[in-house]
Amino acid sequence: MAIHEPGSAAEPVGLFRINTGSCNGCDVELAVTSAVAEFDVEQLGCRYTESAHEADIVLVTGPLTVRAREEVLRLHAATPRDKVTVAVGVCPVSGGVFRDSYAVDGPLERHLPVDVNVPGCPPRPQALLEGIREALEIRRARREGSEPTRLPGDRKQPGKPGTDNFPARGRLSFDAAACVDCRMCRHVCAAGAIRFEERDESVRLTLWHNSCVFCGLCSHYCPTGALSVTGDWRLDHRATDAFRQIERGEVPYAPCAGCGEPIIPAAPQLLHAAFRRPNPEIEKLKNLCPTCRQRMSIGVPRR
Amino acid sequence: MSTKIIELGSHQLALEEPMYFRVQLEGDRVADLDVMPGQVHRGMEHLVMRRNLYQNITLLERLCSLCSNSHPSTFCAAVEDVAGIAIPERAEYLRAVADEIKRIASHLFCCAVQANVIGETTLFRRVMEIREIMQRAKEAIYGNRMDLAANVIGGVRYDLDADSAAYLAGRMEEMKKPLDELYLQYENNPAIMARTAGVGVLTREAAREWAVVGPVARACGIDYDVRKKSPYGAYDRLEFEVALQTAGDVRARNLVRLAEARQSVSLIEQCLDGLPAGPLCADTLPEIPAGEAIAKSEAPRGELMYYLRTDGSDFPVRLKWRVPSYMNWDALKVMLKGEPVANIPLIVNSIDPCIACTDR
Repeated sequence: MAIHEPGSAAEPVGLFRINTGSCNGCDVELAVTSAVAEFDVEQLGCRYTESAHEADIVLVTGPLTVRAREEVLRLHAATPRDKVTVAVGVCPVSGGVFRDSYAVDGPLERHLPVDVNVPGCPPRPQALLEGIREALEIRRARREGSEPTRLPGDRKQPGKPGTDNFPARGRLSFDAAACVDCRMCRHVCAAGAIRFEERDESVRLTLWHNSCVFCGLCSHYCPTGALSVTGDWRLDHRATDAFRQIERGEVPYAPCAGCGEPIIPAAPQLLHAAFRRPNPEIEKLKNLCPTCRQRMSIGVPRR
Repeated sequence: MSTKIIELGSHQLALEEPMYFRVQLEGDRVADLDVMPGQVHRGMEHLVMRRNLYQNITLLERLCSLCSNSHPSTFCAAVEDVAGIAIPERAEYLRAVADEIKRIASHLFCCAVQANVIGETTLFRRVMEIREIMQRAKEAIYGNRMDLAANVIGGVRYDLDADSAAYLAGRMEEMKKPLDELYLQYENNPAIMARTAGVGVLTREAAREWAVVGPVARACGIDYDVRKKSPYGAYDRLEFEVALQTAGDVRARNLVRLAEARQSVSLIEQCLDGLPAGPLCADTLPEIPAGEAIAKSEAPRGELMYYLRTDGSDFPVRLKWRVPSYMNWDALKVMLKGEPVANIPLIVNSIDPCIACTDR
């Protein structure tokens, strides 16, 4: 007698969705993975179910509002014990742009165990499928009592030709050599994803991909192009690796050429932005602190 | 006749978002209903005051992802009004392009979901596949399939060069035939007509009384479209007819949406043809003085209003909205009265309720 394992052709893996108060972006994209042939979860041997007790994989969207909490926890508790839980989008992981609101009670992990995170705002369907693939691998490994074989940090872009010919707004990349420590990026970041730390030898920028909503506003307002949007959207990872998903760089202090005070020198990109074609006289300015710069250009420090 | 009260949630209503209804039944017919909102309340009024004007561009884009361009563009229009900024003409056209692309995708999603609700699975998939053309176009031009990140204070932050404009024009050409074909399907297909014609009727009088807006109002013969009544941005230079129906039923609402999607194609083509040269943004970091302003736009679901008050600092002192779904879902009481329980999910979806916008 054949035993029908879920996941075999006879019985697909059940996907169950819980919306914890999302902006509906992730939910509409999940709908795409049930309707559009190219992204259909059927290709992974899955199907969506409307009943919690059929859930093999739970897909959670939204920042978890206070109002939705009770129902979310009830639904999640009604799913089988051995399900795999996937946090879809950055909201369940960090709150995304909704963090610090009285009406939001995330992160989701404070209330229930999460296995996989799929950053994005919203993640594109290709990223959703990768997240589900990761969840399937965890599920298989758990059943066999083995370790999941897929390596964390496996950033190989999958893709059949034709599915992936557009550059999506993905992970932000930081070029410390171009940074002038103006902190405009942090000022405009709605999600609070960017942090500056003043250390002994340098200023350190840390950007957390689980908070970033990939809007690219930091890069738009960055005067030197130190922050740029890459096309790398493959950011799905084990929830245990959540805090390793960062972009980081150190901008070292250098002594002021005039007085020796530690300063962040002006990057060549800034001089080019300000003077177009800086001459050697202008180049000298970049290693001076504001006071010495004023002394050099107008004779006295400005009061 | 027996009276009973049932509760319906998003799973029974086939909604993407959590929303709960308490429905009073007489026999198997709806007598009254209570909407129990709040599941998607994220404290937006509180959050916007704790974020500066720049951060709010991104935050507001995530107020709702289906009308995600309408929010930041209307917000930016309010800020620009306070600061007395006239945005460049090219930016006005590019904002219109972004708004209309989102309108097509939003309207098609609504029509698709309704096909699914009435069991027309093949049609559901077909509409979603057609919508996919727009999703891909959004990703190709803006880098994201839902949140375009097109707006900044003073203009836009994306451009259409010759290549991307030609690409977009190609996608618009590709949309025409399927959209015309969908209109005929929703208009004449007997199976769809049987489920949508005469269902969930809102009379013109009731529509006025409940102050409904958007496609819900236009399906009752109310000639109200902000793009025509008080044109903003580039809309006074673009030509289109307000899509109108008179039956006020589910079918009429979908016909309005499909006609509008087709018009959006034409509006985008007009923008591409007449795209003026020039800068994308008036000023990168303008000073925003103390003041107040109201900005309006025609979001996919209807008239969207923003009220903004500033005090000269970077943070708004007050930001208030009137979103279209608020009036529209109140009118569900009228549309659902006397309808069989089985029609509830269809009628609810036919107003294209945006819970994220309304709960905030």
